[in-house]
Amino acid sequence: MVTKDDSRTQKDEVASNRIVRVKSIPQRILDALTDFRDADRPSRIDKLGRVGLLIPAFASTMIIILILTFLWYEAMPIFADPAGGPGIIVNPTWDPSRDSYGIAIFIVGSLLCTGIAIGIAVPLGLAGAIFLSEYCPGRLRQPLKMIIEMMAAIPSIVYGLWAYVVLVPYIGNTLAPALQSNPLTAWIPFFQGETNGLSLIAGGIILAIMLLPTVVTISADALQTVPRSLREASYALGATQSETARKITLSAALPGIGAAVILSLGRAVGETMAILMVTGNSLQIPYTIFDPVYVMTSIITNQLGYAFVFPLWRSALFAIGLILLIMSICFTITAKLFIRWGMKTRGMTG
Amino acid sequence: MNEWEHHIEVQELSTWFGKKQVLKRISCYFKDNTVTAIMGPSGCGKSTFLRTLNRLNDLIPSFRRKGIVRFRGEDIFSPGYSVYNLRKNIGMVFQRPNPFPMSVRDNITYGPKLHGVNDEDELDDLVESCLKKAALWDEVKDDLDQPAPNLSGGQQQRLCIARALSVDPPVLLMDEPVSALDPISAGKIEELVVQLKKDYTIIMVTHNVQQAFRVSDQAAFLYLGELVEFDKTSRIAEAPTDERTEAFITGRIG
Ligand SMILES: Nc1ncnc2c1ncn2[C@@H]1O[C@H](COP(=O)(O)OP(=O)(O)OP(=O)(O)O)[C@@H](O)[C@H]1O
Ligand SMILES: [Mg+2]
Repeated sequence: MVTKDDSRTQKDEVASNRIVRVKSIPQRILDALTDFRDADRPSRIDKLGRVGLLIPAFASTMIIILILTFLWYEAMPIFADPAGGPGIIVNPTWDPSRDSYGIAIFIVGSLLCTGIAIGIAVPLGLAGAIFLSEYCPGRLRQPLKMIIEMMAAIPSIVYGLWAYVVLVPYIGNTLAPALQSNPLTAWIPFFQGETNGLSLIAGGIILAIMLLPTVVTISADALQTVPRSLREASYALGATQSETARKITLSAALPGIGAAVILSLGRAVGETMAILMVTGNSLQIPYTIFDPVYVMTSIITNQLGYAFVFPLWRSALFAIGLILLIMSICFTITAKLFIRWGMKTRGMTG
Repeated sequence: MNEWEHHIEVQELSTWFGKKQVLKRISCYFKDNTVTAIMGPSGCGKSTFLRTLNRLNDLIPSFRRKGIVRFRGEDIFSPGYSVYNLRKNIGMVFQRPNPFPMSVRDNITYGPKLHGVNDEDELDDLVESCLKKAALWDEVKDDLDQPAPNLSGGQQQRLCIARALSVDPPVLLMDEPVSALDPISAGKIEELVVQLKKDYTIIMVTHNVQQAFRVSDQAAFLYLGELVEFDKTSRIAEAPTDERTEAFITGRIG
């Protein structure tokens, strides 16, 4: 039994611990050095090892910071110039020859492509992962997983080539006419418009195909780590296999799966090659899924070579790069927060 | 009057994992409102036996069995018999506490929701009554939304008992429910088992002979897959008929 008094002293202790822990940085370094001097041989080696491991960790942090500063430095002119300014983020007109550097269409294009890709890849990928981890006979699981992992290793240009000769013509010749002539779907505004196949939906689908292996394998791994004892507890209450998979296994694996999805989001906005080849790259905001789009990575790749003619043009491209990097940092942080929240509500430590 | 004599009847039950025979022609029965203790040295097949009674072993591909298990007079292995219904009626508490990674409340409501209870008030009542039966209510009533894995080991195990009770099974299987717990938590759960006997048929695996003698009405002694002794606990405690049982309860094997 914990009395009120006890709990108060406990709290005091916790508080005083916290005070002790707040040390100035020079003090910390000094403490570490004196610790090292006073340590015996084995723990000296431990401490050296810790410092040795700190260096690469510190270096990778530095690299991120350096890249950010470099992009910021290059993007500065466009943000400072009256022709540009922060308003370029919402300005849809990109026309360097007239000093107009609105990058909104690229941001919208990237977000739409990514949205469609995630919308396709997540449900399919989850279904695949659940099949692999819960229903697939054990002997088939490893070979299947290996094939899926191989899919992730295919260079994106190969996906692009395939999409260019197969997917794009299919969308232009079959999918669009079918959707536009079928009375069930013909009225939907998103399905309108003439198309040769180079379109938003082509970009979304090819991205989805590229994300699929990551979503499947990471989610399947997350599902597999859910202990068997939890499934058995669910079965023992009279749950069916599908109830157990959906309500216990999936729920327990959700932090891992969510993180996989958010990280693949980051990969999707940054993907360049395949998407450049199939989206048509036309300077307009897409209104239907068959409209061509121009995404952030494509404009950088296409124009960096001759953007040196106007310094602002070049700077605007770097601004796009900066925004890309910030977006992917945001995704990573969201992933972290999501995992932490998920672990906390599930009482997992980590 | 029921048309069956005992809630569970086992007839000539043999089981195998692959080629290895684990249970050998076991016959016994479990009376209503009694506690049956199943004892035996490690690896003799106690868990396998329990897990055959609610067909949890069906999930293991290499598992095979011969013989009959009757629940309320019906053969649970007959084709068309609903294994989900069976498991709803035969609750199970595992050797290690295995609360679901969700809130205390959700742990209790999971089972009832599966079986169609959706009324919020009814679920709230269920949560309270199950936690009370498992002697956990007072400790968690202020924070039912805390994640169950944050409870202490003993609390977790009592939560698992409450969870098993949530679908109101007439029979409760317990696989060494206290072996992972400290003596105080173990004592609490032991008391609980005696309490629950009023309403449930309990089959409890235990390593602890003294505990078996304290809580059980009848006892079974398994040795290398054979049912060596099966009788009233008081009788076995006084004079075991088989020397292996005697060796086990006096601590010479086990
Ligand atoms: N899934 C399985 N696959 C193959 N063999 C198994 C499996 N489960 C149990 N066995 C074997 O069955 C035998 C009995 O195991 P069981 O778990 O029933 O023993 P137990 O009496 O519960 O032991 P303990 O007291 O240590 O829990 C053991 O020899 C074990 O190796
Ligand atoms: Mg066991």
